[in-house]
This record gives sequence, structure tokens and C-alpha cells, in this order.
Amino acid sequence: MFGPFRLTNPLSGGLLWKVPWRLSRHQKYRQRERLRGVDTIVSTVDSALARLGQSLKKVEMWKKEMPTEQEMLPKDKYTVFDRKVKRYRKGIHSKCALLLRVGEWGSRSSRGIGEEAISVCA
Amino acid sequence: MAYFRITLMRSGIGMPKKVQGVLHALGLKKRMTTVYYPVSQSIAGQIMRIKELVDVKEVEHMRTKEEMRAARRPDKGYYIEKRSEQMEL
Repeated sequence: MFGPFRLTNPLSGGLLWKVPWRLSRHQKYRQRERLRGVDTIVSTVDSALARLGQSLKKVEMWKKEMPTEQEMLPKDKYTVFDRKVKRYRKGIHSKCALLLRVGEWGSRSSRGIGEEAISVCA
Repeated sequence: MAYFRITLMRSGIGMPKKVQGVLHALGLKKRMTTVYYPVSQSIAGQIMRIKELVDVKEVEHMRTKEEMRAARRPDKGYYIEKRSEQMEL
């Protein structure tokens, strides 16, 4: 009844082991925590350098162009671009996303464009 | 003097070569490794490259490996009130 060999539908059938199309609220929460962690690191680095009277171009560009976690759209937070998928977006949790390393966490930015950058472009 | 305390929280496996190179250069070879570096622009730039994988705090003092180990060690749970007298030979 319990333990690793319990009889459940996914284990007995095989085809029922599916990844739901949307993230659970706990997955979304952890994703937000990850994004917020990056925000705090950037602000830590920025304030530490500011105390020495220095700055870094990379940090300045990040602050200017990248939206923080609160400013990001849900689309950018929880989905990544994939050209093979209908409507070009898939969840960050999908198995194919993990296997194909589409939007591997941190290897490229999926933050979208900040509002300021849009205003610059326009 | 201020230092960056950098801890590797997520492994660099599967990351681009440049990111893995930065991790190696900072001496972050395994998860949960902690290193200290004085605050400088070059270190800040390296942190920006690996910001998704690490935890960074600005601290006042540097800690050696032994000091970090001692800080992790739990309390013994007892203390010696009085030493027994030593035998004199």
C-alpha cells in the first residue's frame, strides 16, 4: 500500500506518467524565489561596489534593462521560448525543456525586455 | 575591508564553458563550497557571470577553512566544571 512499489495508476499503467501543462503553485513559488535570489545578488554586488565608490558597466546595464521579479510578466517568469512549440512558449518544467536545455536556468536570460528598454526602442 | 562571501548553491554541470571556467577560477569546484574574495570590480564581474548559481553576501571579515568548519560544529552538549588532579610522578 505504501512505499516505492505501491500500486498507483502511473506505476501500473505506464502511460499515465505525464507532466501537467501548468506549473503547480509550489513550482511557481520556487521559480520566483530563484529569480528573487538573482535580484538580491545584483543589488548586493551593486551596493558593495558603491561603498568603494566604484561601479560596473555590467551591473548598470542589468539594472537599466532587466526587470526585477516583481516587474516581470508571468509569461517571462514561467515559460521559455521554443520555436518548435505551438505559440512558441512552453513551461519551464516540461521534460523536453530539461532534455533540450531550452532556457537552461541561467545559461541565458529569459527575463524579457524591461519597460525602459522598450521605451528606448520605441 | 569588505569581502564577498560566495557559496556555490547549484552545480555548474550543463552550463556553458565560460560559466564553468569562472566557477573554476573562483575555486568553486563542488556545491556548497564557500570562498571569500575582497570586493573589487573584477570579482564583481565574475559574480555577475555566475549569479544564477551562487549565493553572495558582503561580509566584513574573511574566514579560513578551519574557522568555517569550527562554526559548523555543533555544541558539545556538556562542559567540564573541574579537571581532575593530575598524578604527579
